[in-house]
Amino acid sequence: MRIQIIAIICLFAISAHAQTDKQQKELFNKYDEVMMYHQVHLVDEVFTENFLKEHGGKEEFIQKVKSLPLEKRKKGLGALFQKWKKSKVGKFLTAKRKEKGIETEFIVKEEDGKYKIDGTISDG
Amino acid sequence: MKSAFLLLLLFQFSAYAEEEFISTPNLDFAALMNDELISVRDITYTRNRKASFCTRPIEMIDTVVIHHSETSSLTTPEVINQYHLNRGSAADPWYMIAYSYVINTPYIGNTKPLSEVSVGRPLGIVGAHAGSNIYVPMDAVQQQLWSEKKVLCGKEGQPQKYDPSLVRGTSIKANVTTLGIVVNGNYALLSRSNPNGNKPEKTPSSKLTDMFARLSCQLQRQYPRIRNLTFHRKYHSTTCPGSIHYKKHMEAIQKKAQEYGCEFKLLR
Repeated sequence: MRIQIIAIICLFAISAHAQTDKQQKELFNKYDEVMMYHQVHLVDEVFTENFLKEHGGKEEFIQKVKSLPLEKRKKGLGALFQKWKKSKVGKFLTAKRKEKGIETEFIVKEEDGKYKIDGTISDG
Repeated sequence: MKSAFLLLLLFQFSAYAEEEFISTPNLDFAALMNDELISVRDITYTRNRKASFCTRPIEMIDTVVIHHSETSSLTTPEVINQYHLNRGSAADPWYMIAYSYVINTPYIGNTKPLSEVSVGRPLGIVGAHAGSNIYVPMDAVQQQLWSEKKVLCGKEGQPQKYDPSLVRGTSIKANVTTLGIVVNGNYALLSRSNPNGNKPEKTPSSKLTDMFARLSCQLQRQYPRIRNLTFHRKYHSTTCPGSIHYKKHMEAIQKKAQEYGCEFKLLR
């Protein structure tokens, strides 16, 4: 009986973990769609309201995104990821990505039941 | 058996929740400086008692390192502290905010936030802002203090111990001999890895330059061995502190400090 309870708890934990992995992957795939391929219709799904407000609003931020180079579609970005980590103090998660030797730490918050990017923080 | 297991889990959870993070003032650590040139706001930060940290005589510090937070300019020091408390591993978490001082000031053309300097990590505690495995040469005073075992590490409430891994030959981890001053804001270029950035990148206002100069000079007046000025990306690959690190901006800070009677060597 005890073993069965432990097995059920483990299965539940694995399932919750897999769901979180999926959510993280989806969010950052959409992030790349916006920032690399200018799929700006996804901006609301990727960034928090607070983030967009601080950038002068959604339309202003979209213009900023469009000023970035439009990249060619490529398979596998090769960016290393550290799984996001829930905060113990304050309500947010952090997720890390490393590209070309530079590490980016994203701040992720829950908004309307979905995880969205609220900005980044320096590695200092 | 099941009840005992559940009770044990409950006990562990409550113990963990109570003891890990505390926000009471810790008066053991030297924190504030007098406010002759600039006022500094005191903050009682939440700290992680399960984290190790190192204490040092303030005479070990010879360099000011300038950073930007990469966040919004409206971010508060308390929020930076929360972000930093989330760093490290379960076995080796961060103790508290990595920087010794936090500046808030508006970007050029903005009116918010209010310009203010706040304390961060006390000067007597080694920071976590100049890279974890960066070593810099020690001068004679620093070597003397090190040999006298004046730099010790441990957790709150436990005896502090000598940690030989901080030194390689006559070089020591950069965090031990530096203090970090961060400005809340993003002074780097907008990019795929810096969505908070701007195009063109933000540049330091004259107010920010003056605040860096006043704070650095006030520190040198109180602790005369603080003689060098540099920026985060001198130590490792990072965009921090954005445009602030450009020669003209760093020289502007140096020149402003000179007007207040302080001489700094710029390390580039």
